Order: sequence, then structure tokens, then C-alpha cells
Amino acid sequence: MKSASSSILQATILFLGLYLSGCNQSGGDGAGGKDKIVVGVSMLSMQNEFIVNVADEIEKKAEEMGVELITVDAERSPLKQIEQVESFIAQDVDVIIMNPCEVEASSPAVTKALAAKVPIINVNSATSSNPTAFVGSDDVESGRIAMEYIAKRLGGKGNVIMIHGYMGQAAQLQREQGAREVLKKYPGLKLIAHQSGEWDRAKAMSLTENWIQSYGGQINAIFAHNDEMGMGAVKALSDAGMKDKVVVVSVDAIPDALQAVQKGTLDATVFQNAEQQGSKAIETAVKIVKGQPFDAQTLVPFQLVTKENVGQYIK
Amino acid sequence: MKETLTAYFNRSAESPAIQTKRIGKYGIFLAFILLCILLSLMTPRFLTVANLTIIVTQVSINALLAFGVTFVILTGGIDLSLGSMVAVTGVVAATFAHPDDYPLLVPIGVGLLAGVIFGALNGFVITRSRVAPFIVTLGTMTIGRGLALIISKGRPISNLSDSFNFIGGGHLFGIPFPIVILLIAFAVCSLILRKTILGRYIYAIGGNEQAARASGIQVSRVKMWVYTISGLLAAVAGIVLTSRITTGQPNAGVGFELSAIAAAIIGGTSTSGGSGTMAGTLIGALLIGVISNGLDLLNVTSYYQQVVMGAIIIGAVVLDGLNKKSS
Repeated sequence: MKSASSSILQATILFLGLYLSGCNQSGGDGAGGKDKIVVGVSMLSMQNEFIVNVADEIEKKAEEMGVELITVDAERSPLKQIEQVESFIAQDVDVIIMNPCEVEASSPAVTKALAAKVPIINVNSATSSNPTAFVGSDDVESGRIAMEYIAKRLGGKGNVIMIHGYMGQAAQLQREQGAREVLKKYPGLKLIAHQSGEWDRAKAMSLTENWIQSYGGQINAIFAHNDEMGMGAVKALSDAGMKDKVVVVSVDAIPDALQAVQKGTLDATVFQNAEQQGSKAIETAVKIVKGQPFDAQTLVPFQLVTKENVGQYIK
Repeated sequence: MKETLTAYFNRSAESPAIQTKRIGKYGIFLAFILLCILLSLMTPRFLTVANLTIIVTQVSINALLAFGVTFVILTGGIDLSLGSMVAVTGVVAATFAHPDDYPLLVPIGVGLLAGVIFGALNGFVITRSRVAPFIVTLGTMTIGRGLALIISKGRPISNLSDSFNFIGGGHLFGIPFPIVILLIAFAVCSLILRKTILGRYIYAIGGNEQAARASGIQVSRVKMWVYTISGLLAAVAGIVLTSRITTGQPNAGVGFELSAIAAAIIGGTSTSGGSGTMAGTLIGALLIGVISNGLDLLNVTSYYQQVVMGAIIIGAVVLDGLNKKSS
């Protein structure tokens, strides 16, 4: 027991040491050459394909414009994100781009940046405090587009299942809101079941397998809040030989989903333009620093992708 | 003072203690049967061949991990890197599983090898450094997640060959292939534990490590084996999962270690090592699967599922504690 507790202590000291030395280092580097514009970027999670695409585009555009980037990964932790923004402020960056982890919990980061007179831009999702500028898409619209497509395919009548993302996240809340707005318009559409698939393909697949057991042929359509889960639902339906009878729609237009749309296994996806979100974010950032006029809100529209127009989205 | 108290309780509570011991041993099995009966009364869709097949298929990944961690827990250790090993081995296998790239044996072989190396590394650091397994595997959990992201460049690896996708999605004589793998793994693991010297040594170390060492058992070598087996089984799970969802996902398997450890503990594996069986672990995994399937069928939100699961884990450990006091 004694050895266990002492090794925990050792590990803690080690972690602390690493953490502190890491902080010092980044503090020293960032404030270096002051002739270039320095942008601090805090992303929600670099484990998410869509977010990685946004970050890649920010990086590409920054290089073109000769802007220096400090990109960090908040790993879905709002607390970490606030600390990162604090460290950006301490490093005296010119402007901050933040891809918020949460609506409420990431808000203090915005307030702190503005209090320190550092402009901050929210990209992709919103916080409850108003930033200097917002670049992203209105997620309510994506839910609306997806459910409208289902309504059209089913002729306004049938049983629908919804697979949520992580409950309480902005994207989940807004996609659900958009979908429910459309459901209200069509009294013939019934939401027979809904559960959280936690944005995860395997989880959504298991859920769908279980729903096939409980509802079988009654299911007419499935709306999944992202493509990963949509693909899981498609897999479960195909395994059960039911894919032809059920319409599946999801959001994001990841490469896998686009291919499935082309093959006809996934009926539709809603394209969220990662490239435009990334490039508009960095463009707005530079405009703000240079004192040029900028848009306080840039909304990048969603687009419905079906078999008919999928060709133009596949690279 | 402490000893006399224990002696007092042991003496005064002898007959109830024997009773709880019996409940402890068969309790989980009884609870499982009871739950199944309850669910079949509540919904007619539960007790059908199709639904039971789906439950076992869904359970297979967790059960494979739970078998591995049962070996580890039996020696008094723990393996927190299971979920990360699933991700690493999954993306490694997926990298080699594109159609017309390599024969099927290559992705499987490389994936399994990755698991063996990862597991052996866990064992090596634990036995050499004498740092607690909890800390070492906590570290390798993070390392593994990082490796999975590096290998996959942070993106899911898709477009896998049909033959690879058979592993998780195909059928053999009408039985889903993951179930076939599950049954083979169960048979082999039970055999190792019950019929081999390695199995006997594993129990001996978990029962009393110093006594085992004194009687000439090479404790380090046995522990190396245990963590390597855990890595191998995590690789099997990783390959099955990757094939089932037809993509290698760098963020797959987050939290899987906890469900696997829960299955082993619910199944009666003692958290301090030395007692437990593969059959118990299998029942533990099935119990978790049945609860989640049953509550889905009843359209209960997943929030409640988590509350129920937590209560069951605590209940199982309490039973284990009563059990130990009585013996």
C-alpha cells in the first residue's frame, strides 16, 4: 500500500512538472516576433473529423495570408478551453479564434478575452456571451433540412426515429429543435423513438438493431444528428435486410457518408461547409486586427446532398 | 482489538455468512435469469431468437475485453488501457484492410501483433518498474489514444475489404461471426484458467503474491503473460469492432475498459485478486448487455441505464465483500 501511494505521488509530481514546463515554453514562444499577426486558436476536439477539417483550413489560409497560428486542442473540456484562452491573453496574441466546447461553460473565455481587449471569434458553434464576431452555420437549419427531406420522401406520413448526439451540446439541441419544428408541421409524421447515440457509429448501430427488434417494419425513417451515427443505422438496417424500406438522413457530409449517398445506402446527408467556416474565421480575424470593416456574423449555409447532386461534393 | 472484533463477527454470524456465500456464488446467475424473466414479461420482443442473437453479438466486444481483464484482476492487477488498445489495434488493422491491398491474414495478423506488443509493454513496465498497474496502464491508456490518432491522422479509416468486414458482420452456419469468436475465446480462456499451470499460478499470485513467490513461482513472468493476453484479446475486440462498423475509428473504445472491468466484477471476480471465473465474467457481460437491450426495447432513456448499471456494480462488490468475510 505504501509503495502504491508513493508512486501516485511520484506520478503527480511528474505530471505537474511536465505541465508547468509546457506552459512556460508556450509562453516564451508566442510573444516572439511582433511584426506578424499572431492568432490563438482553441479547437473543440482534434479527434473529430469535421473539426480537424475546419482547423486544417484555418491553417492553410493562415499560411497564405502570412499569419502566425498557435493552435491548441481543448479535448472537449470547457475548463481547459478557458485556461487556453487565458494563456493566449497572457501571451499577448492579436486575436483569438475559439471553437467553443459548450454554450454556457465556454462563455467565460469570451468574457475574459473581451475584458483584456483581445478580440475573439467563435467558429462553428456559439456561446451565450457575445464574441467580437461569429462564423458558423445555424444548426437549427440542418435539422430542419434533414426532417423536411424525410417529410418529402414519406409524403408527410410515417414513423420516424431520431438518434441524438451527446445530449445538451449545442449541435444536438439545435438539430433536435430544427427537426421538431418540421415534425410539428406534419401531424402525419410520428416520432416513435429517440435516444442518444453519443455521436458514435457503434452505439447508433446497437440502438438501431434494438429498435428493429421492437418496431420492425413500422420504422419508415431515421434522422441521425451526425453521419457517423447515420452510417451505424444504415449498417444495422442493411444487416437486417431492411434498408430499402427505411429512409436514413444524417448531417455533416463526411467522405464516408458521401460515398454511401452515391451508392444509395444513405439517402441523404446535410453538408456543413468546414472549409468555408475555417477560411471565413481567419479572414475575419485578420480584418479585425487590421481595423478593417468586418461582419459580426457570417452564416455559412447548409446544403442537402442526395444522390442527384453528390458528385459535386466528392473530392 | 481488530482481530478480536473480526473473530467475534465471524463466530456470531456463521450461518448467515454461509448463506451469503451461497448467494454470492450463484447470485449473479440467479439475478441474470430473474432479469431475463422480468424482461420477457414486460415486452414480448425480448425473448426471441433474433433479439437474443443481437444481444450476444453486441456483448461480444465487451466480453472479449472482460476475459482479458479477468486474468489481470485475478493477479491483483488492473488494465485501464483496454479501450485505447481497441482503438490502436483497430486503426492498425484498418490501415492494411483496404480492398485488393493485402490478403485478409495481414490486417488480422498485424492488428493482433499490435495488441500483443502493447500488452507485453504494459507487463514489462509493470513488472520492471514496480509502479502500480493502475498508474502504468493509466499512462499507456493516454499513449495508446495518441498513437491511434497519429496512425489514423485523426480521421476514421474507411473503405475496408468485404472479407475483412465479414469478421464483424458475417455469419457462420447462421451464427453471427462475432459470436463464434466469443465462444472460441471463452473456451480457450476457461481452459487456460482451469487446466493449465499458468492458470494455477494466476490464482496463486492473486491469493497471496508473497507466498506464490516463496513457493518458486516466477511472478514477473506470469504477470507478463497476463497483460500480454489482455492485449491480444483487446486486439481481437478491436478487429471485431472495426469490422462491425466497417471503419477504423481512432476514438473508438473510449470507456470500454470500465464496462469490461464492470463485467468481471459483476461476474464475481474479486477486486483484490485470487478468485473469479470466466463463466462469471461472461454472465457479467451478458447481464450488462441484457440491461441495455431491455431498456432500449422498453424505450427507457440511456440516462436511467447508467444509474441501474452503477447500482449493479456496487451491489456486486458488496456481495463480494460479504463473501470474503465469510470465508
